[in-house]
Amino acid sequence: MKKTLKLAAAALAGVCISTAAFAQDWTPPGPIKMMIAFAAGGGADTQARLIAEELEARHGWKIIPEQVTGKGGLNAVNALKGEATDGTAIAMIVTETLGYNMASAKAGQPTDVTPISTTAGTQMAVVSLASKGWKTLGDVIEAAKGGEQIRFGVMTGQLGDLAYIIGKENGVDFNIISVRGGKAVMNGLNAGDMDIGFGAGVQAKAVASGDMVELASARSDALINSPDAPLLTDYGVSYVNETAFMFAGPPNMDAGARDAIAAAIADVVNAEGGKANAFITRAFGGPVVLHGAELESAVQNDFDASGALIQAASE
Amino acid sequence: MTDLGTLDYIWLGVLAVFQGPEAFSLLGLPISVTVVMVTFGLILGIVVGATPGLGSVIAMAISLPILISVFGFNSDALLPVLGFLIGVMKGSTVGGAVPAILFNTPGTPDAYMTTLDGYPMARAGKARKALRISHFSSVSGDTFSDIVLILCAPFLAILVEAYLDLPEKTALLILSLSFIAAVVGGSAAKGLLSCGLGLLAVYIGTGEDFYPRLSLGAPALSDGIPITAAVIGILVIGAIFFELEGLWHQSRKAGRIEVTRDEGDQRLHWADIRRILPYIGRSALIGTSIGALPGIGSTLAATIGYATGKRRHDRNKAKEDPAFGQGAPEGIAATEAANSSVSGANLIPVLSLGIPGNTAAVFLILAAESIGGLNPGPAVFKFSTEQNPELVIAFGLFTTMIIANLLNWTVGGAMMRWLGVLVRIPKHYLLPVVLLLTLTSLYVQETAMSAVWFGFGFGLLGYFMKRFGISPLPFVIGFVLGGRLEATARQAFSATGGDPFFLLKSPIAAIFILAAVAVVYFSFRKPKAANP
Amino acid sequence: MRKLSANTALGLGCIAVALVVAFVWIPLDTDTWLVERKRGKYIIGDSLAPTLAMGFVLVAGLLLLLEKGESDEYPRRDNLIFIGAMAGIGIVSLLLMRWAGPGIAALFASEEYRLLRDTAPWKYIGFVLGGVTMIFTMITFVEERPSWRALWIALVAVAGIILLYDVPFDDILLPPNGDV
Repeated sequence: MKKTLKLAAAALAGVCISTAAFAQDWTPPGPIKMMIAFAAGGGADTQARLIAEELEARHGWKIIPEQVTGKGGLNAVNALKGEATDGTAIAMIVTETLGYNMASAKAGQPTDVTPISTTAGTQMAVVSLASKGWKTLGDVIEAAKGGEQIRFGVMTGQLGDLAYIIGKENGVDFNIISVRGGKAVMNGLNAGDMDIGFGAGVQAKAVASGDMVELASARSDALINSPDAPLLTDYGVSYVNETAFMFAGPPNMDAGARDAIAAAIADVVNAEGGKANAFITRAFGGPVVLHGAELESAVQNDFDASGALIQAASE
Repeated sequence: MTDLGTLDYIWLGVLAVFQGPEAFSLLGLPISVTVVMVTFGLILGIVVGATPGLGSVIAMAISLPILISVFGFNSDALLPVLGFLIGVMKGSTVGGAVPAILFNTPGTPDAYMTTLDGYPMARAGKARKALRISHFSSVSGDTFSDIVLILCAPFLAILVEAYLDLPEKTALLILSLSFIAAVVGGSAAKGLLSCGLGLLAVYIGTGEDFYPRLSLGAPALSDGIPITAAVIGILVIGAIFFELEGLWHQSRKAGRIEVTRDEGDQRLHWADIRRILPYIGRSALIGTSIGALPGIGSTLAATIGYATGKRRHDRNKAKEDPAFGQGAPEGIAATEAANSSVSGANLIPVLSLGIPGNTAAVFLILAAESIGGLNPGPAVFKFSTEQNPELVIAFGLFTTMIIANLLNWTVGGAMMRWLGVLVRIPKHYLLPVVLLLTLTSLYVQETAMSAVWFGFGFGLLGYFMKRFGISPLPFVIGFVLGGRLEATARQAFSATGGDPFFLLKSPIAAIFILAAVAVVYFSFRKPKAANP
Repeated sequence: MRKLSANTALGLGCIAVALVVAFVWIPLDTDTWLVERKRGKYIIGDSLAPTLAMGFVLVAGLLLLLEKGESDEYPRRDNLIFIGAMAGIGIVSLLLMRWAGPGIAALFASEEYRLLRDTAPWKYIGFVLGGVTMIFTMITFVEERPSWRALWIALVAVAGIILLYDVPFDDILLPPNGDV
């Protein structure tokens, strides 16, 4: 069954004309191993597999996706280190892996991998069930000041620190619950195990249907679905979370291979009407493509800036 | 969007099964892939059940990676894959009786009691009648148990979600683990040991810190042990070694299989059904109540069902009727209804709480985890206004069970009667082949040679556990639940603001914890017969 | 000295293992203690869960010492011979499976095995050699004599598995080709 699907996808791709000259010149010397640093079935995993499927259909490459989860992406980074540098091994991680996670684990430098390309940003927001009655993060802070115990669900270390600082700046004490993956935060909110939590974009459907509310944007700009939600700076917090999903290769990766793969990925995520593009737009607010030197410096800046947040949260 | 009620969800679930991707059309009617997969699963289940040395667990282990690569990692894959596994589960309970009746060799462990009356009936020339009785009783028991499951699981889940907070959920997991440890296998001590080792294994390489704990610095350990490798190694590969050794010991005294010709009337009459119906009813009740408790196998249900049936039969039987153990149809009915009615009820804890009670349920969780899109547990049964896809899948799953039962009623019996030949496949050829097949399927699923090594290593461990009389099931369930236990405990501890007594502050949690201690204490005080 | 019962020996073993793991392995090989302080609060550390697991094993060991079990099950000499043989066969076969392809490719092929791992006939070398060795030797061991029949069964079974997994699915790789 899958085969027929693939054939159909290949036929479709044949109609589209690739704009990437690079990707046409370069062919991988063998099958490409794509490590995915996220649990199977979640939004990030779906995104990676859709991209793989379209890359195969457009370029005839053979891609073998594989789950290498755990430690906020650092397991995948470690697995990359020993791999061949000819473009036959790539991994999907988040920029936070190379920034905050590496810095706080003291597990090397962003230069331990070769950044290839980002695919999508996130719509990081503080969310709660609509039935709670809160409209903004301010309402939650008021409730906490009134003596209510607030449970705050987070899925990464950086978000945990952010939650702590939101509380500290506003003189309240959240009970921060760390879980694995954004889906687990959504489940915790739905089950009543948590009061508020971070959502990276998976909350979009629930927000649209009115089941959930975005109480604040954790980005430096407004949210797409809730443009009126306040920013964290409104509550005296100077840190934000603008994690993006990205592909990386092993250290010292062949430049030709890296550029070709980056161009091919950019094509796929930007292709309107494509499955990967549709999914990214629905779940993460649209494609964000950054590569080459631009991405390298963004990742390095993230890493360097993480120290301040780690310091602030440990006080 | 308008509000979705229970009936809407049930209807959506039924539609998800019948209107899913189409496999082919029959006389203009589209036949969905899910229905086809349930049918294939059922057929495979009957075949492996009827083959001594194979069983539903091996069949599930081998087919899972194939299914996943055929259907992919998306929620459309869930119903066909889970439907197939449910078909295997249901088929094998029926199939296990075939060699038990025809050749005095149970195809699955819980068919052992079926040999007691089935084989004498076959020797007396009533083989096909015995098969019919076994089929009728088995499918009746199974159907009854499924009805109980479909009625109970959603309510249990809603209760749990409504009344249990994080500390209570933690306590419930502890209670389930200690219950399984105390009840499964020969002794409470060995059960606890098995469970403790399973927990230790799952904690290697996992955890919250960036350093992968207990990994000894080895890269193979730092990603954690793949769950499939641990489960399949301990359950399947360990059992293969164990069986193969038995054959090695008897390799010189292989006996010949005698076949008796059928004589006289082989059909199942209404009078027969009326005779066995009370036995089926009792056994189905016994099996269902036992099955609803996690960890108690169908073997115990069969034993109790048989013993209860025997007591009644001794009182009521006419003089000329055969007694239990001498070819009484009631004996087959009592056994088969009991062991088959365990399988449906066994899914109550897995679907409503996410706690697997038996090996088949472990595989349903494995499949759901590998594919993604369904996390068996109370969160599934959330009747929300925005469509909850997991709930649709749950009702779809119930629909596949009903389909499997209908198929079992109609074609299962005929299949059983054709399968007598399978018992003649020599097991010492079959088992090494199955071993390679299992290791290959493990590799295909994990794409890492380390998973194969782990699987093989856990197979050796499983073998030694069996030799020491330690049941592997608590190990497996400890492994499957260990991660969730730790995560829930962490969350509960954080949610209560770091209260060290979070497990004892709420009355419900405290009761669960007390019960966990009590269950170990009492089963230690009262040693019981081994229950493999 | 009084002869140890198997249960007592097993119980003592459990207690020893539990203590060593809980007091040596876990503290040395884990980053955080039972609880740790983070962001101004206590949270559960990485050592707690495995230590509790060892608590289970410790209790199991104590109960084993006290339990009056009639069953005295433990592996005998015969069992050890059998499982030792199985372990040996398995290890040799899996090593062959992993290294036969790369080894032969290093001798006879112009490219590295890694790049040939999806190309017939190279991709079958390890699986066929390792698989046939495993099935053939295991059957031979159980029958206590080699036979042509065992070899045929091994070859047919390996071919069957290749037909089952490799031929119909172009995204499935046989061992060891997915991670060489």
